[in-house]
Amino acid sequence: MPFINEILKYDSLSIVGLEKNVGKTECLNYILSRLPLQHKRVAVTSIGIDGENKDQVTSTKKPEIFLREGMYFSTAEMHYKERRLVSELVEITNERSSLGRILTAKVAVGGKALISGPSSGVSLRRWVAGVQKFGIDLTIIDGAISRLSSASPAISKAMVLSTGAAFSSNINTLVQKTRFVVEMIGLPKLDDVVRDTLCDIESGVWGVDFEDNIIDFKLTSALALSSLKSDITAGMRLIFTVGALTDKLLNLVADSKNVKNVTLVVKDFTKIFVTEQCYRVFCARGGKIKVLQKSKLIAVCVNPTAPNGYVLDSDILCEKLQDALGLPVYDIVKNNYDI
Amino acid sequence: MYDTLDIISPCGRKMLLEGEMMTTKREIDFHYRRLNEIYDKDCTKIAHKLMCLKDIHTTLSRLENGTVLDDIELFEVKYLAIVSSEVLVLLQEQNIVAVGLPHLEKVVEILDPDGVNIPSFYVYDSYSDELREVRKQIKAIQGNGEELPDDKRQQLAVLLQRNADLELEIREMLSGRLREFAGDLSVALRNLSFLDILIAKAGQMKKLGLCFPVVVEDGETFYNGMFNPAVKDALVAKGKEYMPVDIEFEREPVTIIGANMGGKTVVLKSLALNQLLTQFGFGVAAHDCCVNLVDEVALCIGDDQSIEKGISSFAAEMMAINKVVLKIREGRNMLALVDEPARTTNPVEGTALVEGLLDVLGEIKGGFVLTTHYNILNGNVKRYRVKGLRDNIMDYTLEVTHCGDVPHEAVAIAESLGIDLQWIECTKRNLNN
Repeated sequence: MPFINEILKYDSLSIVGLEKNVGKTECLNYILSRLPLQHKRVAVTSIGIDGENKDQVTSTKKPEIFLREGMYFSTAEMHYKERRLVSELVEITNERSSLGRILTAKVAVGGKALISGPSSGVSLRRWVAGVQKFGIDLTIIDGAISRLSSASPAISKAMVLSTGAAFSSNINTLVQKTRFVVEMIGLPKLDDVVRDTLCDIESGVWGVDFEDNIIDFKLTSALALSSLKSDITAGMRLIFTVGALTDKLLNLVADSKNVKNVTLVVKDFTKIFVTEQCYRVFCARGGKIKVLQKSKLIAVCVNPTAPNGYVLDSDILCEKLQDALGLPVYDIVKNNYDI
Repeated sequence: MYDTLDIISPCGRKMLLEGEMMTTKREIDFHYRRLNEIYDKDCTKIAHKLMCLKDIHTTLSRLENGTVLDDIELFEVKYLAIVSSEVLVLLQEQNIVAVGLPHLEKVVEILDPDGVNIPSFYVYDSYSDELREVRKQIKAIQGNGEELPDDKRQQLAVLLQRNADLELEIREMLSGRLREFAGDLSVALRNLSFLDILIAKAGQMKKLGLCFPVVVEDGETFYNGMFNPAVKDALVAKGKEYMPVDIEFEREPVTIIGANMGGKTVVLKSLALNQLLTQFGFGVAAHDCCVNLVDEVALCIGDDQSIEKGISSFAAEMMAINKVVLKIREGRNMLALVDEPARTTNPVEGTALVEGLLDVLGEIKGGFVLTTHYNILNGNVKRYRVKGLRDNIMDYTLEVTHCGDVPHEAVAIAESLGIDLQWIECTKRNLNN
């Protein structure tokens, strides 16, 4: 029963798919069916619609979410009414989605349900804080396609990544693309005297010089870089962007003569939106990126089947990924691990 | 002022926004008596309970109309009944009678067959033995959600259907039993919302230093230490002090004269605000006051010129004031507050227009206050004057004066604003000539 024990070390987990149909729901079901509920209280929600019979976009068959007795789950009013399990409604939250208010309930008799909870980062944080009153030991958030924000360490401390043929049907490309994401997740945490101060900053692009002075470049975001008149890296040892880190900022630092002396800092890996190509150039010139908060990547799950029917060889895929990532990689469907 | 109220529940806020202006002494006095009672008590615990209050009036009307409620609605009803019962206990503990709440223990009892008294709901097993049995079987077949063989899956589908049917029957029964309490539940929701408003108003009074007004019908209005909370806040934020003013008037029209920047417009705005605060049952921004009730407050202020409509500022102002004149002539009980009427035309005709306005309105029941820079010579007018500049410091105090002569401080004030020196010198030269 791989990686379940690892999950139990954390109080919050997000499951993120790199693309639709990469087997994220299978992965969620795998985890939900194996968690030892007798001594762990678990609450589950999703930032998209999850547990639907058919994929809303590609109309392929999708597994439903099975919730076990004793689990807490949060879903929209409309989906709550369609649940196929018996559950005790414990809270009507103040969050809303397009499908109505978000409700929290405790499963009395296990069964299947559609889960669609809060979707913004802020509301997810409120959800995690809100369910604590029910004595929850582990919160699980099911992230939606290419929205890594739910995996932000500000929301969940641990994560499981799903990837698969739907992300790319060429094994090498798939391995390379996945490796890049894993590399970003694994960026080192900043260990510095100014770290706490940087954590409190809420917007803009900032610099830290060699005397530890923190300087505001008066940029609303890294997107406003073109308004800069001088080289922001001059005399700085850290450049911190609160919002997105884009190729533009990365290239700006990569092209400056101080690239070796300055470290780029971002809040966490979900703020990084750079292409691999730019990142490699940046690294080759001696550039470094560090994060303020880091999440623990527990495992990578793969689905070798793409929605168009294309199937990759599961064993080769797992092996190649494992080699490239240095992390355990599982094909949950094929291996049908014991409970 | 609405924004500085800490109303906790959405239904409280809704009730407040839907509230209408009170116009009789009886209802306003009754309201303030209740507010006074809350003001003296520590309502932190009650406010905490009200945080969880949800607006479920649609659910309640559905219940009253005989609809079968679903799980979510039954949860809402149970929740309201529990919150209301808990608040009732707290009210009794503190001997608060300002708000009455019906007894809803029966409702809780119906929706809590196991007697655990926690705000959660589902169609409990205890409602029906058959339901309990069906659920037991579902559990046995379902296990941990593994793939099931076809026969088991069919069996499960039948059981799930039976479960749903039984749940519906029970919800029908529950809705039927709860229907007689729909009225009480609505009263509870309304009164809890009202309690929320009272607690918020009392909190606001303490926070902003507001007072309880004395209200009269067809009598005198006076304010001691009247202030404008927004202006006061802005000044305090800048480290400055707000100077409260005293003012009193009855039927006789009032003119306020005084230097520019002497706070005349703020006085008018504060009068309008406080009149409304009183008639909506809020604390009033003054040290103490007596307020004469009206049916409407008219505040004619500012420049409404509209280039699109082809209306000059003069025309817009005349038309706005004219509306007030017509209404008052029709007998409407109004407090009319007019800021510098006819200011945009020549002083000769402007003065005549203001004097004409004072003559035509004469004594009115609701009160009539205007500010002006013109020398108004009417008799039967009460005149206030802003004390004005003393050693380059503005004294905003209002003092009663008997002559209509307006102060000549405009140049001094312009000078203190740092206006171009040459301009000031030319002006002074012209004045001396």
